[in-house]
Amino acid sequence: MKLGPKAAAAALVLSASLALTACGGGAGAGSNAGASPTSLTLGTLRDITSWDPAQAHVGHALQPYQAAYDTLILREPDGKLSPMLATAWKYNDTNTKLTLDLRTDVTFSDGAKFDAEAAKANMDHFKKANGPQMAQLASVQDVAVVDADTIDINLATPDPALEYFLSQAAGLMGSPQSLGTDAIKTVPVGSGPYVMDKAASVKDSQTVFTAREGYWNKDLQKYQKLTLKILTDPTARTNALVSGQIDATLLDPKNGKQAEGAKMKLETNQVDWSGLLLLDRDGTSNPALANLKVRQAINHAFDRKTILDQVMLGQGTPTSQPFGKDSGAWTEELENYYSYDPAKAKQLLKESGFEGNVTLDVPTLPGGETLISVLQQQLADVGITLKPGAAITNTFTADVAAQKYHALFYNLFQGEPTVAIDQIVSTKALYNPFKNTTPELEAKIQAVRTGGEEAGKLAQDVNKYVVEQAWFAPLFRVNQMYYHNDKVNVTPQIQQAVPSIYNYSPAK
Amino acid sequence: MIKFIAKRLGSGLVVLFVVSALTFTLLYTSSGSIARNILGDQATPEQVAFKEQELGLDQPLATRYFAWLGDSLSGNLGASWFTSEPVANSLATRIPVTMTMVFTAMILIAICAALIGVAAAVKRGWVDRVVQVGAIVGDSIPGYVIGVLLVTLLAIQLGLFPATSTISPGVGPEAWVYSMTLPVIALLINGVTGGAQQIRSAVIKQLERDYVRTLRSRGIGEREILFKHVLRSAAPAGLTVLSLQLIGMLGGVVIIEQIFALPGMGPLAVTATGQSDLPVVMGVVMYTVVVVIVVNLLVDILNGWLNPKVRVS
Repeated sequence: MKLGPKAAAAALVLSASLALTACGGGAGAGSNAGASPTSLTLGTLRDITSWDPAQAHVGHALQPYQAAYDTLILREPDGKLSPMLATAWKYNDTNTKLTLDLRTDVTFSDGAKFDAEAAKANMDHFKKANGPQMAQLASVQDVAVVDADTIDINLATPDPALEYFLSQAAGLMGSPQSLGTDAIKTVPVGSGPYVMDKAASVKDSQTVFTAREGYWNKDLQKYQKLTLKILTDPTARTNALVSGQIDATLLDPKNGKQAEGAKMKLETNQVDWSGLLLLDRDGTSNPALANLKVRQAINHAFDRKTILDQVMLGQGTPTSQPFGKDSGAWTEELENYYSYDPAKAKQLLKESGFEGNVTLDVPTLPGGETLISVLQQQLADVGITLKPGAAITNTFTADVAAQKYHALFYNLFQGEPTVAIDQIVSTKALYNPFKNTTPELEAKIQAVRTGGEEAGKLAQDVNKYVVEQAWFAPLFRVNQMYYHNDKVNVTPQIQQAVPSIYNYSPAK
Repeated sequence: MIKFIAKRLGSGLVVLFVVSALTFTLLYTSSGSIARNILGDQATPEQVAFKEQELGLDQPLATRYFAWLGDSLSGNLGASWFTSEPVANSLATRIPVTMTMVFTAMILIAICAALIGVAAAVKRGWVDRVVQVGAIVGDSIPGYVIGVLLVTLLAIQLGLFPATSTISPGVGPEAWVYSMTLPVIALLINGVTGGAQQIRSAVIKQLERDYVRTLRSRGIGEREILFKHVLRSAAPAGLTVLSLQLIGMLGGVVIIEQIFALPGMGPLAVTATGQSDLPVVMGVVMYTVVVVIVVNLLVDILNGWLNPKVRVS
């Protein structure tokens, strides 16, 4: 044999790898993220699942859709609702019919025209497409076309959150021709400020948009090119930001230190609350939790300020209430309703008759391990046992719905009052799996639903009720830490961890 | 030799079939309510039931498996439940990224480990001691730690390389080289130190054999003994080590791709598994099994070619 074995083996591996390298190098066509003076590159946490507007999500998951789709109503950074595709809207006296006036000068990226028929087609599609936010239009009975630029949304029951929903997933308008097709799942067809550059986009890696020519509202289209770079790993997001590969991204307190060291600017915004959800208030699987004094004792056991400082590096505000500061339901008096008072906690446990006999089994969610162990310690100090369960991820939601947990630690969105009620309080809320309620609470919830403009204020009663009844043990509202470089101005968006796409502009 | 290859290929196909059936059964019986995960927090029980029907989850397991198998044999691996993207497309865009990285690292490992290992075995003395210590140090530092150190130093402090991938459709080869350099280094350090250590031992073992003494007594030069006789005998051990490293690297590459945000198989595997996106998970598992089978087959063929005795056994 003339050729040495090592050389032969190396040659074989080398040729195989060269072949593969060649394949790799030639994948696809398009252009790299160029350094156009008006380009914006954002680091996002995950890719969207489908470009069908009916599959859109809320909050920070809404951002990619805003690039391609306009909503009927625009939500300003401070939460005020402004005209967008709808120029004006008005309820009837019973809050059961919302009439919208629509723009007539807007087209979709496939050339189709936006009008009342298109708006109706979108809302009908949203109602039956089985999307994750289908509940947003649950109160809508039907949508009627009045004339080319007017629709009536008829409601089965009043819904104070409807206008807000029309600035969210339910308000996204896609071209009627493409709704329900397979094509719209992978390439959006909207009337929004940007169009997707399919050739330059890679699923789960990056989505590239270019400014749409002739877009009707130049004020909302501040960049020629927009790239959403999907960076799941927080370290990767931090590295990409400090090395200048992206202009802005969401970080956490730990990684934020590195970004601050690199002179990145920080915008904070409180969107979620963190705390224990004491779900089994009727004592179905944990009789102790049916006792109000036990639930109150749990609330008095936590030194919220210390936990916040130690675990979250102080990034947040201690609180005893689950409703957000911007929701209208928030009140100053509930903020420190349950002070840190271990003696009182012990006294309450004694009075309850469950002293030394309270055990909470909670699931451990990824990233929550440190916090759970701190809670475990503080509860142990007053004589309550907290048992962290195995880590779970993909079955969490289903397990909650199936009443698997009598209590759990979680971060929850603090949205509009009816949104929050339907998330954690009402009998149809996922985070009220045991469907606890009382006639008193039902009356308060009903008042919010029919309250129209007063809904936020009326929700204060619901908030007060669940705090007094210790349905939860909230710990703090968490600061969302959004960092950006000095090439871009960013305005935080109320109730969103990540700003809306319209809130970015080139720094002068 | 053809019979030998055919036999190995046949057993590879059996492994592939068995693994696919087992994985399918395990995945589909243990992943909870997937429909609920897809629809999210707000979904009603009716929505969940409708979704389950849509995904065919109300069908018996065997029916679903054979449907999947039939489709797979015709090249259709199904579509992601979350994104509707065909699984075959997802794999086709990602495999080149991962494979370029793994094979580049492998070639460098083979070359470096062979040079260092042979040098340590032949020279012994301080060279050998340095290699021994290097092997312990190299083995004890995980690849992702090296990755983070490299990013901090070479990408962020010095700005020589991008901190995260710049690979996207249509970019030139430079973007690939720049994006791949740090991840490949992070991947190969463990491999080189470990591989050098194994090759060193294999070469020393051969050098101590009687036939080497006989060759030396006949006055044959050290260089000829090493390259013509010792290396050939030590090669099978080296090849086996390298193949094991390549297979082990498929795990390490997942973390490295996350750190460097490379659009390879790693992020796909992590996302799909976290979401229980079963068609994608099946695709990822099948890809991994195929790579393992192909690598083993190549090693078997190379060994069989180097050492005819293997073919008979």
